[in-house]
Amino acid sequence: MSQLDPKTIGRRRLLKLGGGGVLGVAAAAALSGVGTRSDNYQTKEAAAGEYPLAKPENIIYTVCRLCNVHCPIKVKVSDGVAVKVDGSGYSAQSMYPHLAYATAPSAAATVDGRLCPKGQSAIQYIYDPYRIVKVLKRAGPRGSGKWSTIPFDQAIKEIVSGGKLFSNIAGEEQREVEGLNSIWALRDNAVATKMGDDVKKILAEKDAAKKKALVDKFKTDYAKDLDKLIDPEHPDFGPKNNQFIFEGGRMEPGRQAVFDRALKNAFGSVNLYHAGGSMCSASVYQAKTEMTNEFVEGKWTNGKKESAPDALNTEFILAFGINYFEGRGVTPYAGRVTDGLVSGRLKVAVVDPRLSKMAAKAWKWLPVKPGADGALAMGMIRWIIENERFDLRYLRNATKAAAIADGEPTVSNATWLVRLDDNGKASVFLHGSEIAIASKEQRPTADGKEWTFDPFVVIKDGKPAAFDPSDQRTVVEGDLLVDTTVGGVRVKSAFQLLRDEAFSKSLEEWATISGIPARDIAAVALEFTSHGKKAGTGEYRGVAAHSNGFSATQAIFSLNLLIGNIGWRGGLSAGGGEWDNMGGKTGQPYNLTKLHPGKFTGFGLMLTRQGSKYDESTIFAGYPAKRPWIPIPGGAIRNEIYPSMVDGYPYKAKALFTYKANTITQAPGGQAYINALKDTNTLPLFFSCDIGIGETSMYADYIFPDTSVWERWGFPGSIPEVPQRLSKVRQPAISPIPESVKVFGEEMPICAESICLALAEQLKLPGFGPNGLAEGMDFKRPEDFYLKRVANIAFGERADGTDGVPDASEEEVNLFAASRTHLSSAVFDLARWQKTVKPELWRKVVYVLNRGGRFQDFDAGWKGSLLANEPRKVFSSEEEWRQDLLDTEQLSAQPKGVMAFYAENVAKAKNSMTGASFSGVAHWEPPADLLGKALPVSDGELNLTSYKEVGQGHSRTASGYWVLGTHPESLLYINKTDADQRHLSSGDRVRLTSRTVPGSIDLGNGATAEMTTRVKVTQGIRPGVLALAGGYGHWAMGARDVVIDGKVVKGDARRGKSMHPNMVVAADPQVPTAVTAELIAGNIATYDATVKIAKV
Amino acid sequence: MAKTSRRKLLKGAAASVSTLALAATPLSRAIPVQASEAIGPAPGVLARRGRNLSAALAERGAPSGGLLPATHAISVPLPTGSGTAVAAQQAAASAESSVVRMQAELKRAMEKPIAQRKWTMVIDQRKCVGCSACTVACIAENNLPPGIAYRPVLEEEIGEYPKVTRRFTPRPCMHCDEPPCVPVCPVGATYKRPDGVVVINYDRCIGCRYCIVACPYGARSFDFGEHYTDGTPGRQPYEESPALEYGKEWSRSSVEGITRKCHFCVHRLNAGMLPACVTTCIGEATYFGDLNDPESLVTELVTSGRAVRLKEELGTKPNVYYLV
Repeated sequence: MSQLDPKTIGRRRLLKLGGGGVLGVAAAAALSGVGTRSDNYQTKEAAAGEYPLAKPENIIYTVCRLCNVHCPIKVKVSDGVAVKVDGSGYSAQSMYPHLAYATAPSAAATVDGRLCPKGQSAIQYIYDPYRIVKVLKRAGPRGSGKWSTIPFDQAIKEIVSGGKLFSNIAGEEQREVEGLNSIWALRDNAVATKMGDDVKKILAEKDAAKKKALVDKFKTDYAKDLDKLIDPEHPDFGPKNNQFIFEGGRMEPGRQAVFDRALKNAFGSVNLYHAGGSMCSASVYQAKTEMTNEFVEGKWTNGKKESAPDALNTEFILAFGINYFEGRGVTPYAGRVTDGLVSGRLKVAVVDPRLSKMAAKAWKWLPVKPGADGALAMGMIRWIIENERFDLRYLRNATKAAAIADGEPTVSNATWLVRLDDNGKASVFLHGSEIAIASKEQRPTADGKEWTFDPFVVIKDGKPAAFDPSDQRTVVEGDLLVDTTVGGVRVKSAFQLLRDEAFSKSLEEWATISGIPARDIAAVALEFTSHGKKAGTGEYRGVAAHSNGFSATQAIFSLNLLIGNIGWRGGLSAGGGEWDNMGGKTGQPYNLTKLHPGKFTGFGLMLTRQGSKYDESTIFAGYPAKRPWIPIPGGAIRNEIYPSMVDGYPYKAKALFTYKANTITQAPGGQAYINALKDTNTLPLFFSCDIGIGETSMYADYIFPDTSVWERWGFPGSIPEVPQRLSKVRQPAISPIPESVKVFGEEMPICAESICLALAEQLKLPGFGPNGLAEGMDFKRPEDFYLKRVANIAFGERADGTDGVPDASEEEVNLFAASRTHLSSAVFDLARWQKTVKPELWRKVVYVLNRGGRFQDFDAGWKGSLLANEPRKVFSSEEEWRQDLLDTEQLSAQPKGVMAFYAENVAKAKNSMTGASFSGVAHWEPPADLLGKALPVSDGELNLTSYKEVGQGHSRTASGYWVLGTHPESLLYINKTDADQRHLSSGDRVRLTSRTVPGSIDLGNGATAEMTTRVKVTQGIRPGVLALAGGYGHWAMGARDVVIDGKVVKGDARRGKSMHPNMVVAADPQVPTAVTAELIAGNIATYDATVKIAKV
Repeated sequence: MAKTSRRKLLKGAAASVSTLALAATPLSRAIPVQASEAIGPAPGVLARRGRNLSAALAERGAPSGGLLPATHAISVPLPTGSGTAVAAQQAAASAESSVVRMQAELKRAMEKPIAQRKWTMVIDQRKCVGCSACTVACIAENNLPPGIAYRPVLEEEIGEYPKVTRRFTPRPCMHCDEPPCVPVCPVGATYKRPDGVVVINYDRCIGCRYCIVACPYGARSFDFGEHYTDGTPGRQPYEESPALEYGKEWSRSSVEGITRKCHFCVHRLNAGMLPACVTTCIGEATYFGDLNDPESLVTELVTSGRAVRLKEELGTKPNVYYLV
């Protein structure tokens, strides 16, 4: 603890850290949990009214990270110890209306905002006795639980240089490990760029022989650099650099930029995987993105992956597989919903096989069959079309001008014509030049090149009309139902395609498939269409985590399009967005993407093959592909990383760096990854950065400690649940718990940033160290980078500076220093911080940091009847229009795209397992395996679903003893009918087994994890369905014993109760080394899982 | 010292409780009542009956006997004179935060003499989402040990599939006007303050647990002196930090072996802040204020016609109301 400055450390703090004795106990030396203190406090009488936690100098505003909603918080500090966390009054996520941004911190100090139980438990995650504080190197085979503490510098050197790193371990005496220095093969950016361009040509070549010829030419052209490629026969794999894989779990847009800078844009690997992606809601995200894309330079792009009904103004929320009171957005959203429910403004219907807490408050609980949300939505669509309850005026608009004329904030593609192929299947949009009613047009791109515009077509009064959807001046409307031939081309309108799908089954049939009575489907459809624009859907993992999650989302989201609610007050909101902290807007002070001397652009196929086309690759070998290729991934396809390593498909991995990634428990079916990670042939080098020894990092060769989210920097994004613009800034609120080290000569804690900096220092990666950002601009410490991002937020997005925050007053500048006296020099030094930004920006930076970010005032969330996306006006001049865009749209994140009943990107993509094209329009498809066959269900099997207790995260909450106090274990919810059949009563312990998981998991170290838990018999779940909360059942993270430096550190059984539902999810019946997944965007089909239960 | 050893003896020794407690009873009579607002009751408070709602309303000229004004349950009035022009449809959204409003009311109440305040909590069960943020916030705020939650949230399932619902009931101390816990205390350690808060003088409590038995709401707990992080690699600093209850710093050892309970966060009230369970409530289901203030939000809610109290039949006259 030498990093602590004795001058700034309180007496009690010293006591708590046990003086110099913290690291004295060898066995627990690497863990934080060895604080001791004298038990003889004087009971100190405080003056009446004295409450130290109400004083502004004891408060630092930062951001929670116990779920992906990231609530701004205030950390209250006493003698250097974080003792209480509350919601920030400055934030629209924590109060409504929240405090004005101009409120002085001295006044805000006594105002506490809302915070959920997880956030309230922050203190227990900071001060987790099982946190690691030093670097651990394994002292036995992978997974053995035996560790040695080693110096940080040694670990970095070993990882960079390689060698016989584990010669002390039986069986690995002669094993030579390839270090990063050797894996970093291709370092010349010019060569890489040229190779990348040539690979694109190879991929674009359809003819196999010509493709082979191009590969041969490539080999000749780059003869002297072929040794730098993974496989010269397959240049599309890219350079060896790609064999270094980075997997980031709970990633946020603070650190992500540092990882990207070091590992992608300096080391040059394409294999960086960030955040939940396929394990979360990839298919919902991507379906919504594809349905809200903008048409930019001939491409469909910039769609919004997230949306939520504007809860303070809406009148009806239809929630599909989303728990606003438990899982998604609880702190910002729950109060908005309850407010509406009690005032009578709002009705809620919840589609969920489990009676969630929100369903308990709902007007209707619709206990849908798992995986049949899409059928329910299709039934609603049928009813809405049949009864003409859609917004005809909105749907007819084809151009922006038409939308403007109607006061609509968006336009849809309902009337646009889609070509049908020879089989009558919809393919791509019809263009004007194809039927000779318009000609193509060359237009300039933003970066000075050209693109070809070919107008789209609608039928108006029986005649085709060509149009530009972005046209602000020409009103074009079209017919809704079109099924015809124009200019010899078979076409249907997008709306017609939707109608055909919806009418393919009767309402009764939709009712049978979904398990929801037809009268309820009709009632919900009537309600949904009875509030004008003031209704909307919410949808999340309950929809996404099925093999049909994409098409189900298309159906659900089409409901919103039918009433045209996007961008309306009380309608659907994408959230208020944020100020660009990377400085990408013209005139911002620091464009950090560009401030990168020696930046490297790599190329090649990702290990998971995500985003690449199977049929274009050099390893195309017919259908099915050996493993799935996800063409339009809705995030990182993390479930494919480890099994692809095992298969060496498309290539082998050499090193893996995991950060906060607990994939074994987070990925359904993750139990299958244990052997992959244990095998040093599959994975020669594996290092991890983790807060503790986790279920996945326990198999690593090295584990680096990390600063917790209350000790570090970060810039979490805005959320759709809040319509105001907000830029949250995470900053150190307490001194770091991990030990201090020196990198580039600077003192800093061991953490993700110091690992990146140290790797950069050792490898000499460009873009770090002295002059790392630019001449005279170092990147030697986290603040060198992060404070510039704060400065970008503080400056705002207008070049003339008129979008900036005020300068902090003298009083505020003093408070800034006074509230940081407890921070150690490893993270805080006033003079050093001040030097990182231009002098004229410093007081603005202080203003932002004193409030934990930048928050738009409450009323800015709406303008008139719209969400703060300025109603389209008719402008007298181009200048006026552009000025208006500058004033409004750029400061709003509300969708500006074309609301797509028909998503062309999807229709163009192919299924890598069957070769079939996907459908651009909402439709019903039953859950299926990877080859499209029905999933086998044997007698007595029940459908296993999972959910999140509001107090639980997945792997982050093991040390949350307070929330464990309210819910000590996870109970398996089972309907009374199912329980009676199995003679089960509440409290009985059962074992779960599935097709491929025998009821117990081999941890590969002689121990097992038992798939047992106790049941809770309930009326609140659909018969045939089970529900088990995640977050429980740890076998690492302090739940079991480990050995550090030869001494046993006892585990804590409280952390291991119950089991994790993901662990019993079976492998795909057709591809046994994969889990069943949705094949467009890649979501794991978690909730298609079936299990047997037996009393133990 | 004598007191400490007595507590240690009492800790976990259920069989001996009654004997010791009885022995202690005469002692309580001899202890003079403190007059400090921070920790002791004002003279005569123990004997003073808490004013009931209708009396309070009658005093303000409000109708009584079932003719309470039917104000809208939850609507938050627009700020008056704030100069903020908001359209009617924006009313719900643009009104000032109920937290800000209640905090202003709290400050107003704190300017009055203590005996003129009547602290009251209102919990809207329709808005409670059963998240237990209040439970945890309270544990964190008061640094409570394992086994003690001043404000648990009870859950029930009602009905049969598919017509079924769940009901959540947060249960703080009711701060009764006729608190059954007070008269049984043999040492006068627990009492009702003039502002209605039922508190415990930690310095005086001997840990006999009579009050725990007497409370019909289960709102009192015995502090067995445990720590959450005992049995792990190390006890953590947050558990060593003092509890800030009653405006004092209570070391962990100073509150072991005694009874503990919800005190409406009087240490926060003194600082002009609402109780922790109120501010943290994600469903905005908990309200707090002065029932003697006719303009207060809690008065509005209590008189809404929807307010009920738990176990009304016992005559304890709780100051915690539930909106159902």
